[in-house]
Parts: sequence; structure tokens; C-alpha cells
Amino acid sequence: MFISLLKLLLAVPFVLILPGFFLMLAIFGTKNSKISFFERAVLIVPTSLLAVDFLVLLMNRLMIPIRGPILISGILLLCFAGFAIFYFRFKKKPVTREVPDEKISRAFEFTTWQAVFILISLFLAFFFKVTYLSDSILPAATDLGHHMYWSQTIVNSGRLPVYGVPDFIIGEHIIFAVINLLSRVGLMTAMPSLVLLMINIVGIFTLAILAGRMFESRKITTLAIFSAGLLYTVSAPQARYVSGGVVGNVLGDALIPLCLYFFYRALAERASLWAGLFIFFFVGLLYTHHLSAFVLIFSLAAVALLYLVLNYDRLGKIIREWFKIFWQPFPVVMLIASLIFLVLVFTPSYFNGSAIGQATGEPSKITRAGLDLSQIENNTGSARLFWGALGFLLLLFEIRRRDYKYSFALAWAGILFVMSWKPGWLFVNIPSDRVGNYLFLPFSLLAAFGLAAFLAKFRKNSTKFLATVLLLILLFFVVTNGLSDSSDALKTKNQFQQIVETYHSAQYLAATVDTQKDILLKDHINIAADSWYKLFFMKDYKYPLSRGLLSRYVDTTKSRETCTRDMISSPDSDQARMCFSQTGVNYVIVNAQLEGTDFEKSPEFSKVYASNYLSIFKRN
Amino acid sequence: MSSKVIIIATLLLIAVSFSVLFVIETKNHNYDFDKSWTVVYFDNPRNSSLEFMIENHQGSKTEYAYEIFVNDQSVAKNRVEIAAGAKQKIEPILDLNKYRAGSENARVEIDVSLGEVKYKIYKDIK
Repeated sequence: MFISLLKLLLAVPFVLILPGFFLMLAIFGTKNSKISFFERAVLIVPTSLLAVDFLVLLMNRLMIPIRGPILISGILLLCFAGFAIFYFRFKKKPVTREVPDEKISRAFEFTTWQAVFILISLFLAFFFKVTYLSDSILPAATDLGHHMYWSQTIVNSGRLPVYGVPDFIIGEHIIFAVINLLSRVGLMTAMPSLVLLMINIVGIFTLAILAGRMFESRKITTLAIFSAGLLYTVSAPQARYVSGGVVGNVLGDALIPLCLYFFYRALAERASLWAGLFIFFFVGLLYTHHLSAFVLIFSLAAVALLYLVLNYDRLGKIIREWFKIFWQPFPVVMLIASLIFLVLVFTPSYFNGSAIGQATGEPSKITRAGLDLSQIENNTGSARLFWGALGFLLLLFEIRRRDYKYSFALAWAGILFVMSWKPGWLFVNIPSDRVGNYLFLPFSLLAAFGLAAFLAKFRKNSTKFLATVLLLILLFFVVTNGLSDSSDALKTKNQFQQIVETYHSAQYLAATVDTQKDILLKDHINIAADSWYKLFFMKDYKYPLSRGLLSRYVDTTKSRETCTRDMISSPDSDQARMCFSQTGVNYVIVNAQLEGTDFEKSPEFSKVYASNYLSIFKRN
Repeated sequence: MSSKVIIIATLLLIAVSFSVLFVIETKNHNYDFDKSWTVVYFDNPRNSSLEFMIENHQGSKTEYAYEIFVNDQSVAKNRVEIAAGAKQKIEPILDLNKYRAGSENARVEIDVSLGEVKYKIYKDIK
């Protein structure tokens, strides 16, 4: 156990820190007025993540097998290339690159009390997340099981999979396969959740550096860490998404603020360096999560549109200015490289007309018609929504149209709010609660601004005593409401026994059945960790078959197969008999406490396995 | 300086969280750690073999009683003591023809009992 832990603790920095460190060195050198130590440290992990993704995509295209030793060489080569670029760019001309300290942004140089506040927030965030995860750390989540099947496919075959469906994106699977190949720590361990936890934590900081750069205030940076990190730290899309294995969202939540960070800096500082990095991260997001990329595209469009509307009198000049920023060697090279990757190296599975068509247009289902305001409040969190709304109003009242920060903050929050509330207005046709999960990002940023601005205004117009009392009342409201979900983390009950019984039954079947002849059907409704069954067989994504949630069998728009339901719900019915002969299902796995009586009554089945939790029936 | 402290503290917290959660997962991945369950299964579900296994994950040495029925007629019974975390293979030797009573199939049922809890498996043998 401890050797595996040690290997993991070495492999994770090797994959998620080292490449990013050297790439940052290549871009910025050792000290650079353009970027603070804090920002550089935050950028290392996402840069590593995307660099390793691109490396693996390239290896796959060049038919280089994705194996441990080759990956180590590839990552070391990447680091060496970064160092070589750094050496030739910076070491040869140290004098010209020397930067006076005072030119570095102060938005990330925290005072002692701010640092203490951040450390307390982080410590509590870790405490609640770890407490919650400790009851769900055993691999059991449905989504994570599906994703790990594809990661295991990469590990087993040394090649990237061809999904055949637009639901999965390659960037959701590469990182886990790479860490598994380097550390030999299995995918059916805590490893995937731990990597997601790390990315989730990094996501707090990516939002903080965006807030820091936009508002150039260390107070707001501090409050952004508090708002995005500690408030609602357990509920979706935070720790709950980590344990649930909602890989794309967790990665997307860390990458979206970064794309906006680079885009903001490119426009606000008129610097092509940030434009190039924006393209790199944007394409990285395209390879990582379709919904996050979709949300980002809408956000960027809204930001650009709002800025243009606010500055309609300088329209031509602004567009020419933007063109100039992006029409520079670095962004152009990044753009060409991105296009080459997207067209020639690896095209994401959802890059097709039908997938895009499905996500746009009039909402086709009630779940896509938008959330009501109370659902939005639940999604974002009352305290965060309140302070975010206040921040929105304060920004709106003091808007300075030429300053990009107003367009960024207002348009980002505004467009996500409309996409969640009235998606039909924007022809968005995706589940509204999934879009609503992104609202916490702009609202955390606005809440940080709102809190800082409100406190500053109040302190100016009040006595020290009153300001302190108000601060304490506010903190009480924010903390009690914002931590209400965290108290649930202490009450959860684990399902470890049921989960290991599921593993045991899968292991039993994997050792005894012939996957070429035998067809298995399991019950997804009542069996914990059932989606991990497929990792024991690694035959096909749809093997074994599953009885899904009953609502999935009811669809007024098209007919759905019902065999997987009928074969478990009423195994002795004529319909089920026909299904058994059509599908060839000859093993059925059900929850022993809830199902099985019908099978026991039927002369057509033998019961070959019985534990406290599960029964396995074999068709005679 | 303060930003360096924050980054270092975050790295330490990540390392500690990784260690704590990794150890919790590894321990709980074990069939026996802090659990109490039993499983009974046919050694080979694909053929007519009647060999079966009892696995004891009750957390302590446990005595199981088992009884074998052919077409609902009790034909054998015994008790077996299994150490914690261990499994025991039982190989019944039965002359099924003796119990078929003219029917083509013989349903062989094995009932394993642990106190009030019963684990039942069965096969139809042609």
C-alpha cells in the first residue's frame, strides 16, 4: 500500500507539475514582470495537463505506443525542450530580461492577515472535501466507472480509443491512463478521484488569478479563494463531482477561468503572448469537455458583444485592435498548430454536425427548458448568489465602458444566467441543470467583488465598531449558509460493504464465464458500483448489459428498447422470454435484498451465487 | 513571500489528502476490513459440477451449517468452520439418479446457514 502511495506521489508531480514548470520557464523565464509567482504556480498544473494530453495525441498519431517508458521519455523530452527554449531565450541575454520588482502585479502579494485568511479557507475546504470523500472514495460512481473503462482501454491497448459516440472526449481519459502507466496504481483505486480533487483545488486558484488580474486587488483575490473554495465546497460541482467522477466538468471548471484569464489579458494588455496562450488553452478545453467548451464559446461571444455594444462609437478601431493582437507570430503559430491537431492529429468525437445540432435549437425536453430562480439559487448557493448579485449591481452602477473588466464580469455572469434560466432565448438545447452548474464560476468572482466593495464602502461611511459588527454578521450569514452543505459531509454513510460485494461478484463472473458466449445483464438501479463491472471484463463498453433507470424506458418521442428492463422486472413473462432468446442473456445479477424472487420461482434459472447483497442467476 | 507560503501549504495539503484518502480506499477495498458478509457460489456455474465455495468475510472465525437438497429432499448436511477471510471448497458426492424419481432434471439446492441468515444456491442438473 505505501509503495503504491509513494509511486503515486511521485507520478502525479511528474505528470502534472514538471512539464508545466518547464513550459512556464520557456515562456516567462525565471522572473518576469508579466506574471507573478502565484500565477505561475497556479498555471503549472493546467499547462502540464494539456501538454501531456497533446503529447499523447501526437504519440498516437505517430503510431508510437502509449506505454510507461515511452511516456517517461516523452515527458522528459518535453521538459528538455522547455529548458532549451528557456536557455536560448533568457540565459543568453540576462541583462535585457532583468525586471524590477515593483513592476510585478501586487494583486497576488497578500498581507499577513490575507494569507492567514486564505490558509484557513483552504484548510477548511480540504477538511470538508476530504471528510466527504472519505465515505465515497471506493470507486463506485457511475460516471467515473464509464470514464475509467476508456482509460483502461488506453492502458491495455497502448492506443487511443475510437468512441463511436459523442458523449466521451479524449481529454477526460488520457491523464488517468498516463498516471496509471507511470505509477502502476490501478484505475480502480482512489487515484482517479485524487487526481480530480487536485484539479478541483487548482480550479479555485484559476478563478482567483482571473479575479486578481481583472480587479487588480489582493483583497478580491483573497475573497475569490474564499468564495470559490470554501463556500459550498461539498455540493455539486465541487467535491460531489469529484467523487461522482464528473471528469469533464471538474476539468472544465478549472480551464474555463484560465481561458478567460488569457483572453482578458490579451485584450486588456494588447499582448499577443496572452492571445497565443488563450488559443492553447481553448483548444485544450475542446479536447477535454464539450459542454465546458460550449459554455466558454457563449461566454466569450457575450464578452466581445457587450464590449462592442458599450463602445459602439469605436467599433472599427476595436476590431482592428483585436485583429492586431491575434495577428502576431505567436498566436498565429498556435492557431495553425491547433488546426493541425484538430484536423490531422485527432479530431474530438463530438466534432460533427449532428452533435452540434443536438446542442442547439429550441429546447426539446422539459429538462432543457431552463431552471426557475429557486433552482438557480440551489445551484449557485444563496450566499454566493446574493453577494454575486450585489457585485453585479455595483459593477453595473460604476461601469466604465472602456475597461474590459466590466464587460468580462457582467457578460460572463449574464450569459450563463440566461443559458440556465431561459435557454430558449439563446437556442441552447442542453440540460439546464448542467449549464447551471457553471454559474458558480462568475458568481464566485462577482461575490468576491461584491463583498470587498460593500465592506469598503461601509467602512468609509461608518465607525470602526459598526463596521466590525456588520462584518461579523455578514460572515455569520455567509459561513453558516455557505457551509450548510459541508455539514452534510459529516453525516454521510458509506456503502463500502455493498461495493466490495459488487466487485467480488464481478470478479467471480470474470473468472468463470466465457465472454464470447455468455451475455450478462446487471441491474443498475439497485446495485452499487455496477458501472465498474465492465472493467473486470474489458470486452466492450456496453458489456455487460444494464437495466437502466426506469424513466429512461419511457420516451414519447421515439421507441426505446425495453428488454433490459423486462428481463429483470418480470423474467417469466412472454416478453422477457422473447428478450432472453433475442439478446442471448444467460446471467442476471440482481440485488438480493430487493429482487430475485421471480427468478427463484422460475424453473428456467439456476442460482449460482448468493451473498448478503447480490444474487446471480444463470439461465438453464 | 505570502504567496509562496500559500502555494507550499496547498501542496502539503494535497499530499496529506492524497495519503489519507489513498490509505482509506486501500483498506476498505479489502473484502474483510470492517465488513461482515458471506458469499456462497458454485465453483463452476457453467457445468453440472456441484462443488461450491463458502467465503467467510464476517470478520471472525465462523461455523457454517450447510444442507443439500435434491428435488426438495434433504440428502446431506454438515457443518464447517472457516477462518476469518478464508474460503472453503466443498465437494459433494451424490448419486443424483437415486433421487430423480423419474423426472429428467434434478434440482440440487445448497442451503448454507449462519444463524438466522440463509444463503441458497441451486442448479438444475440434467
